[in-house]
Amino acid sequence: MPDPANLSWPKETKYISKSTHRVDAAQKLTGKARYSSDIQAEGWLYGMILRSKWPAAKITNINLEKALQIPGIKAAILIKGNERTVRYYGDEIAAVAGTTKIACLDALKAIEVTAEPLPYVVHEDEAKKPDAPKVWDDAPNLSKPKVTEKGEVDKAFSECATVVEGFYTTQVQLHHPMETHGNTVSWTDEGLTAYASTQGITSVKDGFAGSLQLEQSKVRVITEYMGGGFGAKFGSGVEGKAAAELSKAAKAPVRLMLTRFDQGLAVGNRPSSFQKIKLGASADGTLLAYQLDAYGTAGIGGGGSSEGGGGGANFPAPYIYQIPNTRVSQATVAINAGSARAFRAPGNPPASFGMESIMDDLAVKMGMDPLELRVKNDPNPVRQKEYEVGGKRVGWKEKYKKPGSSPGVIKTGIGCASGSWGGGGSKKTQGEAQINPDGSVEIRMGVQDLGTGTRTVLAVVAAEVFGLKPEQITVKVGDTNYPPGPGSGGSTTCASISPTALDTCTNALNELQKQTGVADARGENWFAACKKLGVTPLVVQGKFQDGLSSRGAGGVQFAEVEVDTETGRVTVKKMTCIHDCGLIMNTLTLESQIYGGTIMGMGYALYEERVMDKLSGALLNPNFETYKLTGLSDMPEFDIVLINMPERGVIGIGEPSVIPSASAIANAVANALGVRINSLPITPAKVLAALGKIPAPVS
Amino acid sequence: MKAFEYATAHSVNSAQEMVADNGQYIAGGNDLLGLLKEYIVDPKILVSVKSLPGLDRVETGSKVWTIGTNVTVAQIEDHSAIRKTFPGLAQAAAEVGSQQIRNVATVGGNISQHSRCWYFRHRDVLCLKKEGDMCYARHGENKYHSLFTGNTCISPVVSNLAIAFAALDATAVVQRAGKPVRMSMAEFYAKAFENPTAHNSLNPGDLVLKVEIPTTRTHSAYMQTSEKHEFDWALVSCAAAANITNGKLSNARVALGSISPVPHQVDAANEYLEGKTLDEATVTHAADMILHGAKPHEHNGYKVPMAHALIRRTLLKLNA
Repeated sequence: MPDPANLSWPKETKYISKSTHRVDAAQKLTGKARYSSDIQAEGWLYGMILRSKWPAAKITNINLEKALQIPGIKAAILIKGNERTVRYYGDEIAAVAGTTKIACLDALKAIEVTAEPLPYVVHEDEAKKPDAPKVWDDAPNLSKPKVTEKGEVDKAFSECATVVEGFYTTQVQLHHPMETHGNTVSWTDEGLTAYASTQGITSVKDGFAGSLQLEQSKVRVITEYMGGGFGAKFGSGVEGKAAAELSKAAKAPVRLMLTRFDQGLAVGNRPSSFQKIKLGASADGTLLAYQLDAYGTAGIGGGGSSEGGGGGANFPAPYIYQIPNTRVSQATVAINAGSARAFRAPGNPPASFGMESIMDDLAVKMGMDPLELRVKNDPNPVRQKEYEVGGKRVGWKEKYKKPGSSPGVIKTGIGCASGSWGGGGSKKTQGEAQINPDGSVEIRMGVQDLGTGTRTVLAVVAAEVFGLKPEQITVKVGDTNYPPGPGSGGSTTCASISPTALDTCTNALNELQKQTGVADARGENWFAACKKLGVTPLVVQGKFQDGLSSRGAGGVQFAEVEVDTETGRVTVKKMTCIHDCGLIMNTLTLESQIYGGTIMGMGYALYEERVMDKLSGALLNPNFETYKLTGLSDMPEFDIVLINMPERGVIGIGEPSVIPSASAIANAVANALGVRINSLPITPAKVLAALGKIPAPVS
Repeated sequence: MKAFEYATAHSVNSAQEMVADNGQYIAGGNDLLGLLKEYIVDPKILVSVKSLPGLDRVETGSKVWTIGTNVTVAQIEDHSAIRKTFPGLAQAAAEVGSQQIRNVATVGGNISQHSRCWYFRHRDVLCLKKEGDMCYARHGENKYHSLFTGNTCISPVVSNLAIAFAALDATAVVQRAGKPVRMSMAEFYAKAFENPTAHNSLNPGDLVLKVEIPTTRTHSAYMQTSEKHEFDWALVSCAAAANITNGKLSNARVALGSISPVPHQVDAANEYLEGKTLDEATVTHAADMILHGAKPHEHNGYKVPMAHALIRRTLLKLNA
C-alpha cells in the first residue's frame, strides 16, 4: 500500500508513461462534447461588439438609441463610456444583445459614433521616430530600454577570434485558436454563471467578481470543453464583461462569442522583435561575448498605461547558451494596434530565432559544425543528451553540408535549434475523488481541459492507483464548484494535476480499505470492496504534494527543408523533435502536444504575420485567407523522440515544443541557400530577395 | 450582411428578369457570401442559377467542347476526359481553394469572381474599386498585387480557370440583353484593365452561360506558386497550351494570372513560339518577352522572377 506521507510514482506501471486514447474522444468525435460556443441556455440572446474603425480617435458621443429600436434587440451597452479615446483599429466601443445574429449586425450598424480622428502610427520603425504621433499622451512610444550587463563586454569582443553581427526580426503572431474567445453569461439576482471558453476557470471567476463587484460565492464558471487558448484566454475579458452587462440589462443569458474578424484584432498577440545581435567566440568556438539591442511592439501595450495589455516585448537574452560577457538592451515601442498577451512560451520563440540564427552564422563564419558549436556552449545536461540522440537520429554528420552547396534549382538543407522552459506545478491544486458503492469512480478537479488531454491524464493516474482502466474513471473538470485547480498556462497543468490526483486517489484508496477492511481493494478486489460501503459513497480530498513534479524542460529540434530557388517557396520535409518532460504521463497526448507545438512553430516560420496598413491604420488580414496558418498539405514527416526521465517527476511540455521549430527551419533554409533570411515569416518574396533576384520597384 | 430576397430561376430569361438592376446571381456563393458579409455588395435579391436547365454539363465535340456555367470546379478536376484532352484546365481546377470549395464552386462563378485585394475586401477601407478616391495598394501593402495594369488600381485577376481558358483560347458565352454574346478571355476581362471599378467586362444582369474550348491545341499545362502548398491563392499562376508536332510548337499560347487585372498574354511571345522546339533557350526568351515592361511595386517585385520560372516550367511541362 502506498504511504501517503511519502508518495512516489509507481515504478511498474500499466498506464503511466504508456499510451491511452483520450477518454473523451468519442464525445468530441460525435459532437456530444459541449464547447463554450455550443451552449444554448434557456432564452439566450446573441451578443456582438462594435469596434473602432479608427486607429486613433477621440470619441465625443455614442448614441445607442437607434440600435435599441431594431426589432429583436434587447440590450445595448457602452463598453468604456461615452467620451473616450480609442487607440487602435478594433478597440471595443459598444455591445448589443438580440434574438438573431442579423438583428445584432443591424444594430451595430445603427449605433451612431461621433469621433474626431487622431494621428496614428502602426509600424514599429515609424513609431520610434521622435516626431511620430504618440500612442499614449503621457509617454513616448519608445520605452526607456532595459539594460543589463555582465562581465567586460568590449574587452571580451576584442579578444574574440571571430565576431559576427546580424539583424533578425520576427513578426507579430496573432492568437487564432479554433474556438474564438467568448462566453455565455447569465447574470441574475441569484448570481452569475459563465460558460467560458477559458484556460483558467478560477482566474475568470476572479475576473468577473472583480470587474462586476460581485461576491465570489455568487460567480460560477463552467468550461466543459474548449477549443484552445494558447495564453490568450485567462481573463473574463472585455467580451466577458460585456456579455454579463448585456445579460443583466436584457434579463436573459447572452452568448457573446467573438467572430474571426474580432479575433484578429483584440485578443492579444505575440510581440514583434527587431534584434541587432553581436556574438563573439574564441578560436575553439567557446562563446565569449554577446551584445543585443532589441525593440519590438506589444501594440498599445507599451509606452503608457496598458490597461491589462500584454506589457512589453522583451524576451530572454542571451538565450540558453553560456556566455560570460553580455550586454543586453531591450525596449518596447507602442503602436496603434491590438496589444500583446501571453502566447505559448512568451518571449521564447523570438529569443530562440535571434540566438539560434546568429549561432549558425557564427559557425559558418568559423567553418565549424553548428551542432558542435551548440554542444560546446550549451550548459544544460539534458539538451546535451538531446543533441547526441538527435544528431544520430537525423544523420547530421552525413546530411550537414556546406551552406549553399546543395546542387540544382531545388536545394536541400538541414538545421538545428533548441529551447528551454520552466514549468512546474501549482502547489495550490486540490482534488476530490468519489468512490461509489457500485464501484464507479468520479474524480473532480477545478481545472479545465485546454484540449491537451487533461481529463485523460487524471483518468490515467486514477486507473493506475485503483487498478482500474482509464475508461472506468469519470473525470469531472471545468467547474469552479469543484476543488480549485490550476490555470492551464506556463506548461504547469500536468505537473499540478498529476501529483494532486496521485495524492487524492491514494487517500481515497486508503480510506476505502480502512472503511471496508479489505487489505488490498485494487484491481479485481475493487467492486467487492466498494460494495461494502453500503449505500453511502466515499468522498475523499487530496492536494498537491512536493517531490512528484519538477520544472525545466529542454528540447532540440532538427528541420530538413527543400527550397525552390526560382519560386522561393520553402517546403519542410521533416521535423525531428527530441523532447524531455520528466516522467511521461501519457505518451499519446504528449506526442500530440509536440505535433501541435511544432506545427504552430512552422506557421511562425513560414506563414503567419499580422499585416498593419499605414494608409488606413487597419489590420489588413483579419481572416484565414491572408492570415495564413499551416495546413495539412504543408505538413512534414515527423519523428518525435521522447526522453523519459521518471526520476525528475512530471514536467509540462505544451510550451517547449513550440520554441525551436521556427529557428530550426530558418537555419535549414540558410543551410540550403547559403544566405540567411533574417526575418520571419520566410516567404517566397523574402527568399527571392535574399537570393538577389528581385528587380527594383518601377513606380 | 443585409437582408435580401432569394429566388430560384428555372430559365435564363426569368433569371435575368429577377436580377434586374439590383440583384445578384448565386451559384456556389463562395465569392458572393464574402462580399455580402463584409457589406461590399448589398443586393435586394439573390437569384440562384443552379437549376437552369442544361448548364451543368460537359459536352465533348470534335472541334469544340462546351462546359456549362454550373459545372463545378471539382467536376473539372475529376473529369477523366478533360484531364486527358485539356490537362492544363484540370490542373488549374485542382489548385482552386479547398476540396469543399471546389465541390460547390462553379465555372461561371470562378471566372466572374471579384477582386481579392485586401483593401477592396476590407469592410472599413473605401478604395478606388469601391468608388473611393485612391488605390491603397499602390502605395501600401502590395505583395499580392499586379505587375501590369492599364489604370490606377493594381488588383489582379485571380481566377485559375480563366488563365487556363485563356491559354486554350476558350470563349465565354454570356447572355446579354436577351441574346448570347461571345467573348474571348481577353475580352471577358478587358474592362478591368481600363476601369478600376470593374472586375471584368460583364454588365449588370449579364449571365455567363457556358465556356467553349476549341480542340485546336493538343497539349496544355498549368502551374502556380502560393505561399502555402494548398488552399491558398496563387502568387503567380501560368497556363500554356499548344500543338506539338515532331517536337515543334504551333498555336502556342501562354497566359498568366495574379500579375494583371486580366489574364496576362503577350501576342508577340505566342508568335515567337511558333515553330520553335521546347528547350531552355526558347522558354527563357519567351518568358523575357512576356514579362517585358513589368512594373513592380514596393512589395511585389518577387513576382517577376517567380513568373519567369513558372512560364519556363509550364512551357516545358507541355512536353510531358
